[in-house]
Amino acid sequence: MANFILRKAEPQDVPDILRLIKELAKYEDMEDQVKLTEKDLLEDGFGNHPFYHCVVADVPAEHQKVEGYSVIGFAMYYFTYDPWIGKLLYLEDFYVMTEYRGFGIGSEILKTLSDTAVKNRCSSMHFIVAESNKASIDFYKRRGASDLSLQEGWRLFRIDKENLLKLSAEE
Amino acid sequence: MGFIIRAATLEDCKDISRMILELAEYEKVSDQVKITQRDLEQDGFSKNPFFHGIIAEVPEDLKSKEGHTKVGYALYFYTYSSWKGRAVYMEDLYVMPEFRGKGIGKALMSKVSQLGLAAGCTQLNFTVLDWNKSSLDFYLKQGCWDVTSDLGYHCMRCEGVALEHLAQGDL
Repeated sequence: MANFILRKAEPQDVPDILRLIKELAKYEDMEDQVKLTEKDLLEDGFGNHPFYHCVVADVPAEHQKVEGYSVIGFAMYYFTYDPWIGKLLYLEDFYVMTEYRGFGIGSEILKTLSDTAVKNRCSSMHFIVAESNKASIDFYKRRGASDLSLQEGWRLFRIDKENLLKLSAEE
Repeated sequence: MGFIIRAATLEDCKDISRMILELAEYEKVSDQVKITQRDLEQDGFSKNPFFHGIIAEVPEDLKSKEGHTKVGYALYFYTYSSWKGRAVYMEDLYVMPEFRGKGIGKALMSKVSQLGLAAGCTQLNFTVLDWNKSSLDFYLKQGCWDVTSDLGYHCMRCEGVALEHLAQGDL
């Protein structure tokens, strides 16, 4: 299968983006964690101040393996900032449906994102990977990514809404 | 209370730059700081800022040994979780050593939480170095949890030559 195109996501892609987000979450055994709705994705990605950007991989009708789906891969990203080195591109999600792997679609998405990073004068692309996801870690390391948690000791911390409310109420 | 917490302005960039270097020195990596005061002014205070800042300021009579009244800062920006939606990322949190123990750090973090919640965010994320025990303890006390430890997520980076090769499609 040779034919696929990568393009910027449009509002009508939102149902497919949510479907792929859920598929990726299922792959990480976290499907019940997805609380995002199509309405959120539309408002947050296609309004005046987008919180994220998305590229999608589209296959023409004659190459569709899975009934009715032409959008078979996506990447969600946004720009962040490191006060030491400046702008960065943060890769939030990156997924190609299992039936379409092995055709270079993932590599092409990553190439497009890296190109976007370089064009926007980002000095680096950051993302997180679960340490149990050996296939993905190998994929990224083969392309020159380094593991900051292992190499430099960085740990990702989070405060969820309940504790965020408590913290914001303190004087 | 002896201090105020307020939004950073263009004029604060000189002190923010000073404190960024102090924080980098504390983390033992000050030679990695490439961003200048001018970069901060352009990247944080133009039409489409890449980050926002909060400053902790003390009155003139409580200024530091070297005469500074701006004694702490936090840098943050908005990100996006493909599972939960809008999130806020706290990139830096710093209080000058002689002003610690007065609740300034907590007040800065509380302000970031307030602003994040007001913008519709459901989580606050940040990274901490694994050897930074006093910071780890502080954050755990505020109700944060260690995503790297609990879910096994590693922070990854692709930069410099590796990023450029990736953009060109080299493997």
